[in-house]
Amino acid sequence: MKDFAGPFALAVTGAKKSFGKVDVLKGLDLTIQSGERVALMGPSGSGKSTLLNCICGIEPLDSGNIQVGGKELSDLKRTELEKIRRENIGYVFQSFHLLPTLNAFENVEFPAQLVGMPRDQRIQRVTDLFNDVGLSHRKDHLPDELSGGERQRVAIARALVHRPRLILADEPTGSLDTESGGQVLELLKSLSIEIGVALLLVTHDHESTRICDRVIRMKDGFLISD
Amino acid sequence: MSLSSRFQLVWLLLTKMTFRHWRNKAGHYLLLMVIVAVGVGAFNGIRQASRSASANFGLFNQAVSGQSDFLIESPTQRLLEKDLKQLARLGKSPDWNLVPVVEGSVTAVELINGAKKQLRLIGLDLLALGNLPTLTQQNLKFSEENASWYDWLGSDNEVWVGQSLADSVGVTGGDTISFLASGRKAKMKIRMILDDPDGNLPDDLVLGDLPTVQHLLSRSGELNRVEVVLTQVDRREDKPYLAEIEDRLRKELPRNLILSPTENRAADRAAMTAAFRLNLTILSLIAILVGAYLILQALDAAVVRRRAEIATLRSLGVGASVLFSTFLLEALVLGLLGSIAGVGVGQVLAFGAVGMLADTVNALYFATSVEALSVTSLDVIVGVGLGVAFSLLAGWLPARDATQTPPAQILAKGDWSPGFFWLRKPKVGLCLLGLGGVALCFPPFIMEAGSKMPVGGFVAAGCWILGSALLAGHGLVLLAGWVRPFCSGPVSRLACSRLWDGSSRHRLAVAGLVVAVSMVTGMFQMIESFRDTIEEWFDVRFQADLYISESGVTGAGSINGIDPTLLDGLLRQPNIKYADIMRICYAKPARGVTVLAGVDMKHWSQEARQIWLKEPGTLQSVKGTEPALVSETFARRFGVLEGGVVELQTPSGMQKVSPFGIFCDYGNEFGMAAISQLEWIKWTGSERAVNVSLYLEDRSKLKEMRDQLRIAYPGLDIRNERELRDVALGIFEQTFQATHALSLIGLAVAFAGLLLGLLSIFDESTQTWQTLKHLGFSTQRFILAAGLEGAGIGVAAWVVGAITGLALGWLLVFVINVQSFGWTLLWTVPLANILWFGVLLTVVGFVSGMISASYWNFRRR
Repeated sequence: MKDFAGPFALAVTGAKKSFGKVDVLKGLDLTIQSGERVALMGPSGSGKSTLLNCICGIEPLDSGNIQVGGKELSDLKRTELEKIRRENIGYVFQSFHLLPTLNAFENVEFPAQLVGMPRDQRIQRVTDLFNDVGLSHRKDHLPDELSGGERQRVAIARALVHRPRLILADEPTGSLDTESGGQVLELLKSLSIEIGVALLLVTHDHESTRICDRVIRMKDGFLISD
Repeated sequence: MSLSSRFQLVWLLLTKMTFRHWRNKAGHYLLLMVIVAVGVGAFNGIRQASRSASANFGLFNQAVSGQSDFLIESPTQRLLEKDLKQLARLGKSPDWNLVPVVEGSVTAVELINGAKKQLRLIGLDLLALGNLPTLTQQNLKFSEENASWYDWLGSDNEVWVGQSLADSVGVTGGDTISFLASGRKAKMKIRMILDDPDGNLPDDLVLGDLPTVQHLLSRSGELNRVEVVLTQVDRREDKPYLAEIEDRLRKELPRNLILSPTENRAADRAAMTAAFRLNLTILSLIAILVGAYLILQALDAAVVRRRAEIATLRSLGVGASVLFSTFLLEALVLGLLGSIAGVGVGQVLAFGAVGMLADTVNALYFATSVEALSVTSLDVIVGVGLGVAFSLLAGWLPARDATQTPPAQILAKGDWSPGFFWLRKPKVGLCLLGLGGVALCFPPFIMEAGSKMPVGGFVAAGCWILGSALLAGHGLVLLAGWVRPFCSGPVSRLACSRLWDGSSRHRLAVAGLVVAVSMVTGMFQMIESFRDTIEEWFDVRFQADLYISESGVTGAGSINGIDPTLLDGLLRQPNIKYADIMRICYAKPARGVTVLAGVDMKHWSQEARQIWLKEPGTLQSVKGTEPALVSETFARRFGVLEGGVVELQTPSGMQKVSPFGIFCDYGNEFGMAAISQLEWIKWTGSERAVNVSLYLEDRSKLKEMRDQLRIAYPGLDIRNERELRDVALGIFEQTFQATHALSLIGLAVAFAGLLLGLLSIFDESTQTWQTLKHLGFSTQRFILAAGLEGAGIGVAAWVVGAITGLALGWLLVFVINVQSFGWTLLWTVPLANILWFGVLLTVVGFVSGMISASYWNFRRR
């Protein structure tokens, strides 16, 4: 069972992060409610990727707080951060990053295995997701044997399989053509509504923001509009 | 691009990038140089040590004078008084001086701490030498004052030793030293320590006057040889003059004696141990090979780590050939620096190995002295040349891999590796296995001293090892495919899927381990087969109650013996039912040397137990020849497995022996023909026995009798069967020490290679690990997955390596051993050892995986 207690899927307050003398995040505040879809836009170097890494617990903040599923990340040990990532967050990458040696089905099944979902339930869940993303006929294929759009659909299924509370999507259409990108966005929207998962979508593309409830903009480590 | 601008670019890359990487990872590259240095050092060290350990200072010219020009010898190394009489006419020429020499081994006892030391005793006509001071270039003085230098005349208990021997055993002039010689104990006075400021005299040399030494060795009237020293020393390089002298000497020489230039003698001895030294050289080459494998792994890791940099360079227009040259040059510099250091390392290793190898040469070939270790310019050239050549070969593949890196834009898309595509194609591996099979048809190469070098066997071994290494990756994929359905957990599934995918680097890591595993498994079998065969031989052959031989002399080729008077006294002891007396001497066939034994033929053919290859009587001796029982080695060497005649030169001239039975014998690799005692004594003119086996009337008194004999005959080794077996197995273990040491080096390096290989694999999978991290894959799980990956590589390497090792074991036992030594061995497969080795490999693979992953993870953090 998830220990999601608070009203927000994500709450970031006064987040500051520097690399050497470069201040990347300069006191950023952001909240996302459960089931809310938020687009995060901003030029390169504005701190979007750093923010995502901090939300994942991969990079620690210098100061400020991040709460995911009601848990304050700065209070957690490394193993607890890994647990948060495993159970509460789903990640969709621009370059898909499917595990090259596992076939599509195994890739999607993998996070469910990590959270210890029982086998029957897991198989059923993965099969359902493959039906949802329309790739049942491709589930035995290795990532190399799939098209870019197909890979991203597998990646979305992977991000959702363990029923996370928050999906972080880092330019999920950045490597896709317009048509495939559109299909992927629709899929993200429909599945996030169906599951009730919050979505933080990092994008450069205005078209992508259409699936979101809210658009926020970042520049030089600050949120400049919401 | 012109050649000079290309060179400038390579130099720029080398100085601005490669060497900066070196500076940032100084420890890593230093370690690589150490690896090359150890590889080259092991090769050079063994080369120097085996040369030094096989040195033979028995020659008067090498030991004392520095120069003699010709040797007059008997084929059996025993000149008798009748031969000397025949040489009388030669002695009258003013153009040369004849220096008679007798030599043998003695054991110095009652040294400091009760230690024993085997020494070479050389007897010279000191009176003649004293009268011919120009004869000894070193101007050795045999007495403090020239006026009284001949005081020792008439004394039969005075000897001279060199400074290094005096230092090592702690004696000075005037002290006494006790020797065991010919089974007797003798106390000798040290007349003087020979002045040897340059340290030319070996540390086991004892000089004595001719009659004194003959008496000590119980060889009255016998010499080993006569050395011919030219009077006109300034004409030693004058070839026409030397040819004329040789011609004149030959004309006067009795037919049963041999004349040869002095350098031939050293060459003969070198030829006797040629096979031994070649085997060592091949083994020591393995050290360089495994070093090269590590270089390959390390440079490959460097290519993987620098992939982004290489890709950027390619985007900037740096050509593939420039990148190739830069990486190759990096390998060259590594190899060169490491090899130069290796020459020094070799010197250190040689110090450690020389004693061990000298003991082996003593045990297997002839009594030897340890020469001072020296590095020749050839050692430096060969060592550095091999180190650089192997490093370049090792650098070739990573350099080629670097050139195939695409520009940065393509690389940005994720994990990328061109890999070693040829590791994915089974054709080359299968061809090599087939080629190895064909090589088995090659006949052995006959070496100078008559020993055989199984060239086909070695080629087959090399082809099979390399072929199976190339196929090992397919084995890995196959095994992972079988196991994969059973892996349901995320960690095991991930690890197994990566193995099943079989990246080039996984395949390379398995290939390296397969080479080590197959060699070690093959060695296991050879050593165990040898041990079991020798034990079986002992069980069957050695049925007597007590075995007696001269003390301290263990060499298979030793012709020292027990003083006949002493033996007569011993055999008069009560409680002796039967004494099987064995006499041996060298005999010279057309090529090399063999051993001629005099035995009780009735006992040997009808009563004594032997492992017979051909029972006595199954072969028919040829009429008009001496019937002989011959060893398997002898039969194979001289092609008389189905009967025939072998002509041998003996002290009484050419004699023919013909086998009527063939027995298995593992005593030496020269072979042995046993003829009847009476005939042997007639042919050799000697009655000295080399050993005696006693059968007792009352066996219950065996221990009591052994102890009594030991007290009565302190100069003899008196052992029961168990003690004799221990001595033989001791020699056996001695022989395989170098093999063991090199196997261990091979294994250690293979595991180091596995560590480096796994690091490369993880470096190349950075993107995958990053993804896993985002998915919440914990560090512990990552390390466990890496451990399982390492264990999988270990298991696959063990399975493929053990199969290849079994083939190698068969090859070593039934082809290489039979062709090299003429020995048929029982093929023993030490299954328990091989299984334990598999467990060890799996555990080490698992631990290596976890260590590499932890280190990789630590580096990332």
